[in-house]
Amino acid sequence: MIRGRNIVKRFGPTTAVNGVTFDVTRGETCGLLGPNGAGKTTLMRLLSGLSPLTSGELAVAGYDVSRQGRAVRERLGVVTQQDGLDTDLSVRQNLETYGHFSGLSGRQSRRRADEVLGFFGLSDRAGDEIDHLSGGMKRRLAIARAFMTEPDVIVLDEPTTGLDPQGRNLVWEKLAVLKASGVTILMSTHYMEEAATLCDRIAIMHVGRILDAGTPEELIERHASAEVAQVRMPTTASAGIRAALAASGCAWREVGTVAHVLGRNGQRPQIPPMGGVRVTYRPGNLEDVFLAVAGRGLGAQ
Amino acid sequence: MKADPARIVAGVRWRSIQALWLRHAVALKRIWKVALTWYLVEPAVALVAVGFGIGRLVEEVEGGMPYAIFVAPGIIMASAMIHAIFECSWAVFYRITGGFYETALTAPVTVTELALGDVAWSMTRAVLATLSVGLVAAAFGWITSPWAVGMLLAALLVGMEIGAIGLIFAALSPNTHTLSLVFTVVATPLYFFSGSFFPIAVLPDVLEPLAWVLPLTPGVHVAQGFAWGELSLTHLWSALYMVGLTAVILPIAIYLLKRRLVT
Repeated sequence: MIRGRNIVKRFGPTTAVNGVTFDVTRGETCGLLGPNGAGKTTLMRLLSGLSPLTSGELAVAGYDVSRQGRAVRERLGVVTQQDGLDTDLSVRQNLETYGHFSGLSGRQSRRRADEVLGFFGLSDRAGDEIDHLSGGMKRRLAIARAFMTEPDVIVLDEPTTGLDPQGRNLVWEKLAVLKASGVTILMSTHYMEEAATLCDRIAIMHVGRILDAGTPEELIERHASAEVAQVRMPTTASAGIRAALAASGCAWREVGTVAHVLGRNGQRPQIPPMGGVRVTYRPGNLEDVFLAVAGRGLGAQ
Repeated sequence: MKADPARIVAGVRWRSIQALWLRHAVALKRIWKVALTWYLVEPAVALVAVGFGIGRLVEEVEGGMPYAIFVAPGIIMASAMIHAIFECSWAVFYRITGGFYETALTAPVTVTELALGDVAWSMTRAVLATLSVGLVAAAFGWITSPWAVGMLLAALLVGMEIGAIGLIFAALSPNTHTLSLVFTVVATPLYFFSGSFFPIAVLPDVLEPLAWVLPLTPGVHVAQGFAWGELSLTHLWSALYMVGLTAVILPIAIYLLKRRLVT
């Protein structure tokens, strides 16, 4: 459904996307995971035609983004990072206007606006001013807008950034329903939990490149371990603990006063006994993967 | 391949332009009470102040015309210009920075279509301003000729040409400080030096040709021709000058908008 080959995007001297190749198949939900500045937003802007490619090929549903931009945008729903709502218009008018831009007639727009308002739980806010909506509602409205044309493919740039847990759950719930209905989704996020919850496949992006891609399980197996040890590091004992971990041959990273230790070859990490040091075990997650992969990617440069 | 009737020249879609125009109309309708003050109260104040105030002192312009009758079409065109310039610079700037145009461009719409839609709306606002101020002036008895209806044509031309100029400022301004230059550099000089308040002929010889080159001058000239019911070939040249100027400025504005929106 989406096909990218050697995509490069430069802004003057900076290279935002540096030779990315990827595919998203029909009905799949694919996540781009990476920190700010990884090139996720740029990649999404290239897809929606808001930004021309420097080189490479990018196609949506068989239409080339550079040469057939209008045909691409007729099939693609886009949710940009800024909600991009029109504050001069009401909730419903935002949807209808977008419908008109997409070539729907007045009647079609009204009917479709009713449907998406209902689906996204915004029916009773239809006449409201945009400024009176909560952050979560604005986000839902921005997603609803992308669905005005019943697109086959939807691109979401950080759909839940800045939302409270409740708002985030509501967005996830709606996206899960859409995913189940067969819509192809490409989304960017820097929340590991979001990627793990919604995505069939994840590509890890870092400084303009895709470092690795696969299902969450595959990535965890490849780059982390099924279980990860968390070792409390009191400041007084930290030097000794570091020496012991280094001796064990395990990779670890320190977050605050906790060391997260990965097992070797996907095994449970063997922590040598250290008097009085608390060790707990938890399942490996995407954060472990991301930090392992991104760390290596940085080291390689 | 079948020809798409919804397409006009060079791949521009008429329905995208219509969609943006409709969006503007819907937005205006939502705030019509405030809008009434832009269209009626402000120009009425200007007409009264200039017509009754300055008009008392001036008595009559050469040729024996009462000052209020002389100044009415000029004030009407100045009002049309202010609406056009505000729409295409200030309002467009906020739609760019607010992300609304980015959203529109994710639909099958192009920058060219957005620019044309904005110019179409600028023309609409210029016509609305001409209608409202014109009716006030007619109520005072300062517009008498039935030909005055033709001022709507002048308004269309002014809305188109000034709208295109406004778009350039919207496209180039990094912030509202630079955007305000559109008023200091364009609106204010045009307001006073386009033959609205005094005949251009009274300007010093050096300035006179300069005043004729200004984009609002031909609009005022055409409007005066209609308002006074005295049309000549010069009015046709003025209209053509405005069309020509738009044909040069609008493509530049579209180029600059593309450069700003598609990066």
